[in-house]
Amino acid sequence: MSTLAIQNLHVAIGDTEILKGVDLTLHSGEIHAMMGPNGSGKSTLSYVVAGHPHYKVTQGDILLDGESILDMEADERARTGIFLAFQYPVSIPGVSVANFLRTAVSNVRGYTTKEADSNANGVIGSNLMPMREFRRELNTKMKEFNVDSSFARRYLNEGFSGGEKKRTEVLQMAMLEPKFAILDESDSGLDIDALQVVSDGINKLATEDRGFLLITHYQRILNFVKPDYVSIFFGGRIVKTGGPEVAHMLEERGYNWVEEELVAGIVPA
Amino acid sequence: MTVLIKEPKEIVEATAGFSQETVRQASAAKDEPAWMLDLRLRAWQTFESLPWPKPTDEDWRRTRLTSFNLDNYTPFATPGGTLGLDELDPILLNALDEMDSSASLLYRDGGVIYSRENQDLKQQGIIFTDLQTAVKQHPELVRRYFMTEAVKPDANKFTALHAALWDTGSFIFVPSNTKVVLPLQAILYQGERVGGYHHTLLVAEEGAEVTVVDDLLGAKNSFQATVVELILKDNAQVRYMNLQDFEHTAWNFLTGSAVMGKDTDLRWIQVSWGSRLTKAFLDLDMRGEGGHGELLGLYFPTRRQHIDHQTLQLHRVPNCFSDLLFNGALKHRARSVYMGIIKVLPGAQKTDAFQRNGNLILDSSARADSIPGLEIEADDVRCTHAATAAQVEDEYVFYLMARGLTRPQAERMIVQGFLQKVLDRVPVESVVHKLEKVIARKISR
Repeated sequence: MSTLAIQNLHVAIGDTEILKGVDLTLHSGEIHAMMGPNGSGKSTLSYVVAGHPHYKVTQGDILLDGESILDMEADERARTGIFLAFQYPVSIPGVSVANFLRTAVSNVRGYTTKEADSNANGVIGSNLMPMREFRRELNTKMKEFNVDSSFARRYLNEGFSGGEKKRTEVLQMAMLEPKFAILDESDSGLDIDALQVVSDGINKLATEDRGFLLITHYQRILNFVKPDYVSIFFGGRIVKTGGPEVAHMLEERGYNWVEEELVAGIVPA
Repeated sequence: MTVLIKEPKEIVEATAGFSQETVRQASAAKDEPAWMLDLRLRAWQTFESLPWPKPTDEDWRRTRLTSFNLDNYTPFATPGGTLGLDELDPILLNALDEMDSSASLLYRDGGVIYSRENQDLKQQGIIFTDLQTAVKQHPELVRRYFMTEAVKPDANKFTALHAALWDTGSFIFVPSNTKVVLPLQAILYQGERVGGYHHTLLVAEEGAEVTVVDDLLGAKNSFQATVVELILKDNAQVRYMNLQDFEHTAWNFLTGSAVMGKDTDLRWIQVSWGSRLTKAFLDLDMRGEGGHGELLGLYFPTRRQHIDHQTLQLHRVPNCFSDLLFNGALKHRARSVYMGIIKVLPGAQKTDAFQRNGNLILDSSARADSIPGLEIEADDVRCTHAATAAQVEDEYVFYLMARGLTRPQAERMIVQGFLQKVLDRVPVESVVHKLEKVIARKISR
């Protein structure tokens, strides 16, 4: 059982404070949905947990099983078991899904122990997971997560549809087997069929040893993926946490209600 | 501001070691027929009559010959005879064994040091021999094609010098409707402090198919003036790879042209890894309708290397397709120049031509100049060109790092990916692996 604890997290870009004291504790086996309007800082939170270098943590901490991860680079965080499914996965020309994923999996699973040697001799391919073993596992998981086998050779996200990008993100999660996954609007821009496929993937991966922070703007995905907790995120912090009923409340009353009652009433200006 | 241009005068004074007598010696050493000596002497006159490139010449505005001095070099190398396989330098043995070839020729110090045929080419009428031998054994063919059609001696100062002093080179002749299954491989290892003039003369007759790989190595503190002539008769299909990996102290001048007949199909891969300075003139000359020409380039200058490619896609006739893609990465105060023109002559309707040059700048001290151009004198054509210079995207690096790649791994993968668009079109797998290794080496150093 692992715990990801975000404690009084304040984050700024330059002089602008974006996160204003976020507190959230996530345990293995839990799905925590975080809902909020556009521009409330949800994506910033996901980037900061994943280790994006552009943001400055001015206060607070992020702890994985009691250890701060703030000093770690993004790749070290990935190796300790944190995964971010991007809202807008980048397209990287010439980098095939299989090629980069083999290096990623090898690092995360500890094949690339002599990383310095590997970098020094400059050859991609030393200290990697054996090709056949990797291929076999990738093929199995591509079937399981509804990703066409041709995607292994295709360049990362180049010419992928919105749904294909999100499915590829889920496939990567399946290969990297993180302890905690942050899904940043994995439902956005998907039609109902694509949403079903992505949700199925998440449900398959939602095992006892894994925790999810599911960031979303809409209640829709929660019809497919059942959260244990739902938080409302507004103005750079969590303004309410409860069970699934919170999501229904939001659906009925919209975000204006949050602004009028929760932010004005509960949180001092 | 006044700029004093000093180089040309210095260079002229410095040619003392090079003379008409040198040309006679070069020819005599090879025991050549009179017609070749005549050709050399005429070329020498041309060389003497042509001015040295000046910084005010459009072709040489961005590539200066400052500190290039012919006097620093022995005019030509003296061959030392052939060697057994077990006597070959490991570097050459390695280059030889990297690829499955139909036949291989290995050159060093102005002559052939090793050759082997893995398939019986003679039986099919295929000629793959060194050019010095071809002058004697196939004089009619060599006289007809050697610097008469694709690249003429007066094309530039360096082609004139080449014609006067050419030493090593391959003559490739593939008869009509004959197919060479595996690549023909030529490896040059040029010596130190010497002039080198390597020639590739390929004649693919009607419907012939052939793949040729030139591997150019060595040339420490030397200069090389290469000429490549590819002559494709109607329906011929040629895959040509020029892989230049000279020492970083070499001056390298390359002039190449492909003359393309009706319904020909050419893919030319030009790789410029080595040399301190490279100036390459590369032309696709579309002379027959229905021609399909691809000119693909890779470069990766580091540590003050200067690499200049100047291309011409010449559409003389209607209904031809040409596609050019040059991608390069740069770092450590390196510089690249790309200049290219798509030229469509009057009447060459339905021309379909592309020209793209992409540069990935890995540190701010490197510089890439890209000057694409169109000269179109027909009205029913499709011609597009694009030039880009960009840095490694931070968001790409973050994405890959968020998946567990270290920063060097992520950067390496992005650079390799950038060059992959050209690598994907390299038709020989062993060449792809060889190029990938060089790219990895260049990224990590």
